[in-house]
Amino acid sequence: MKVLLIEDDRDAANYLIQALDEVGHVAHHAADGETGYAMASSMDYDVMIIDRMLPRRDGLSIIESLRAENNSTPALILSALGAVDDRVQGLRSGGDDYLTKPYAFSELLARIEVLARRASPAEGATTYQVGDLTLDRLSRNVEREGEKISLQPREFRLLEYLMKHAGQVVTRTMLLENVWDYHFDPQTNVIDVHMSRLRTKIDKGKSKQLLQTVRGAGYMIRE
Amino acid sequence: MLLFVLFSVTILGYIAYQTSILIQRQQVSAINREIGQLNRTYQRAGTPGLVQGVQRFADRPGPGIYYVADPTGQVLAGNVKEIPTFVLQNPGVHSFRYEVEENWHDEDDNERPDRGLALVKSFQLPSGFYLVVGRDIVERRGFSAIIFEAFGWGVFWIIILSVLLGTILARNIMRRLDLISAASKKIMSGDLSERLPITKRNDEYDRVSENLNEMLERIENLMAGLKEVTDNVAHDLKTPLTRLRNKVERALNRNDDPEQMRQALQATIEESDQLIRTFNALLLIARVEAGAPDGSFELVAVDEIIEDIVDLYQPVAEDSGIELSTNLTNVPKVKGSRELIGQAIVNLVENAIKYAKAAEGVPKIEIGLEQQPNQIRICVSDNGEGIPEKDRERVLERFVRLEESRSEAGSGLGLSLVSAVARLHKGKLEILDNEPGTKVLITLPKES
Repeated sequence: MKVLLIEDDRDAANYLIQALDEVGHVAHHAADGETGYAMASSMDYDVMIIDRMLPRRDGLSIIESLRAENNSTPALILSALGAVDDRVQGLRSGGDDYLTKPYAFSELLARIEVLARRASPAEGATTYQVGDLTLDRLSRNVEREGEKISLQPREFRLLEYLMKHAGQVVTRTMLLENVWDYHFDPQTNVIDVHMSRLRTKIDKGKSKQLLQTVRGAGYMIRE
Repeated sequence: MLLFVLFSVTILGYIAYQTSILIQRQQVSAINREIGQLNRTYQRAGTPGLVQGVQRFADRPGPGIYYVADPTGQVLAGNVKEIPTFVLQNPGVHSFRYEVEENWHDEDDNERPDRGLALVKSFQLPSGFYLVVGRDIVERRGFSAIIFEAFGWGVFWIIILSVLLGTILARNIMRRLDLISAASKKIMSGDLSERLPITKRNDEYDRVSENLNEMLERIENLMAGLKEVTDNVAHDLKTPLTRLRNKVERALNRNDDPEQMRQALQATIEESDQLIRTFNALLLIARVEAGAPDGSFELVAVDEIIEDIVDLYQPVAEDSGIELSTNLTNVPKVKGSRELIGQAIVNLVENAIKYAKAAEGVPKIEIGLEQQPNQIRICVSDNGEGIPEKDRERVLERFVRLEESRSEAGSGLGLSLVSAVARLHKGKLEILDNEPGTKVLITLPKES
C-alpha cells in the first residue's frame, strides 16, 4: 500500500514511516502543506495521512482542494484538536476519518487499511462470506455451516462491520464509532463484552475460530 | 450645566417678553372699549353728556388718562393738564410724557410720579371736539420692569444654584469614582477578594458597582478553580508520570530478563494511555466550559441516546450481575450535542456501575427520563453505597475522587464533565440520595 504522509513534526513522521515500512507499506513524506498538496495531486496514493495544522497550508484546505479536483484518495486527518465540532469540521471538508493525537500506531494502521479498502469496489456487496459463515445484508440472515444463527440487531451490525472488513484489524473505537455512532472513549471494556457474546454465538463449539482478538489492537474476522 | 443655564434664561426671557406684549394688547383693547363707550354717550347726550362721561371716567382712580377739549383747545374735562398739540392734530395712537393733574394725585396713589408716560388714542369728534383716552404706561412699564427684574434675579439664582449644585454633584461623583478606582487598583495589584464600595443610596453607581462585584466574584471563583486545577494537574498528572518513569527505569536496570522488560513496556503503554485519557477529558471539559459554537447544536432525541447507551452497557452490567433498566417517557427533542449528552450519560452509567457493585442485595441501575413543564430530566440512580451528603458538591469538582474510589480506575473528571455538559445546555446537575445509593439528575431546559 502506498501512503502519503503530510506531517511537519520530523520525529513523528520518521516514526510513522518506519512503522509503516515494518508492516510492508511504502510511505512518502511531505513536511509542509504546499509540498504535500503538490505530491497528492501529482501521484497516485492508496491513502493519505494529513496532519491538520501544517506550515504554509493547513490540512483541511489540502483535502478541500483535492476533492474539488475530483481526487478521491481516502484521507485520514490527524489532529491534536479532539472536540466533537473539530471532527465534524474535518469530515465535512472531505476527510474520510479523523484521529486525535496522541494515538496508538495500531489504531492508525487499522484505520488506514480500512480506508484504503473502502476505495475498492467490494463496498456494495449484499452478502459477506468468511469461510463457512455467511451474512445476508438484505434478509438479515446469518448462517454458519448452513445453520441459522439468530443475532440481536446490534450484534448483527457488529458482525456486518467486521465481515465487511474481513481480514483487517478493527479497533474498539472503530466499532464504537461505526456500530454505535459515538466517538467517546469508554473507561470500561464495553466493546469486549459485546464481542465475547458475539463470539459465543458464531464460534462456540466450532473447530475453527473465525473471530480473533488481535492483541493490543482490536479484532479481526478471517478464515 | 452651561447648557442648562442658557436654556433656563431663554425660557424666562421668552415668558417675560410674551407677558409684556400681552399686557400692551390688553391695554389697547381697554382703550378702544372706553372710546366706544364715550362715543355712544356723545351720540346719545351730545357734548355735555360726553364731558360728564369723561369727567366720570377721569374721577376714577387708576391708570386711565382722559381728556376732552373744545375745537379751540380749551380743556373741558379730564385728568391731564395738557396734551401735546401734535397728539390732538393727528388722530391715532401716540405715546408721550405728560404732567398729572393735581386733583387725582391723592394719597393712596402717591407712588405715581408727577410726570407720567402715556399711551393714548386721540380722536376728533364730528363736532370738532378732541377726545383723548389712554393709559399711564409707567405702571405698565413698571410691571415690565418687575418682570424683567424678576427675570434677572431668576437668571442670577439659576446660575448660582447650578454652579453650586454642579460643584457638589461633581465632588460627590469624583469622591465615589475615587473610591471605586482605589478599590480597582487594589484588585489589579492582585487582591481579588477586594470589592467595590456600595453605599446605602442604591443609585446608578451602586448598581454598576454591584454588577462589577458580581463579575469579580465570578472571576475570583474562576481563578480559585484554575488554581485548584493546576494543583490537581500537578498531583494527578505528575503521579502517574513518576510511576511511569520509575517503571521504565527499573526495567532498564534489570535488562537481563526480556520477559520482564516486555511486561514493563506493556505497563508503560497502559499507564500512558490512562494519562492520555485524563488529558483528553481535561481538554474536553475546557472546551465544553468555553461554550460550543452554536452550529454544533442540533435537535437530539434524549430517549434514543439513552437506549443506545443501555444497549451498549447492558452486557457489561449483566456480567457484573447488575440489573440495568430504563424508565423512559416520551419527551420532546432538546437542542444540544448528541455526542456530549451521550458522553455525560455514559459517565453517569459508568459511575453507577462502579458504585452499584457495593449494593446490598441485587445491584440495580435505573435510567429515567421524564418531562416537566419547562424541562426534561434525565435521572441515573443506583442502589450502591451512595455519596455522603457533605461530599456531593465536592465530587463535581475536577480530579476529586472520594477515598473509597481511589483504588478504582478513573480520572476523577467524569462528574466534572457531566456538570460542564449540563451547564453548556443551560441545565444543571444534581446529586441526590436514592436511599440507598446515588441518584444523579441532569435537568435540561426544553426547547421552546
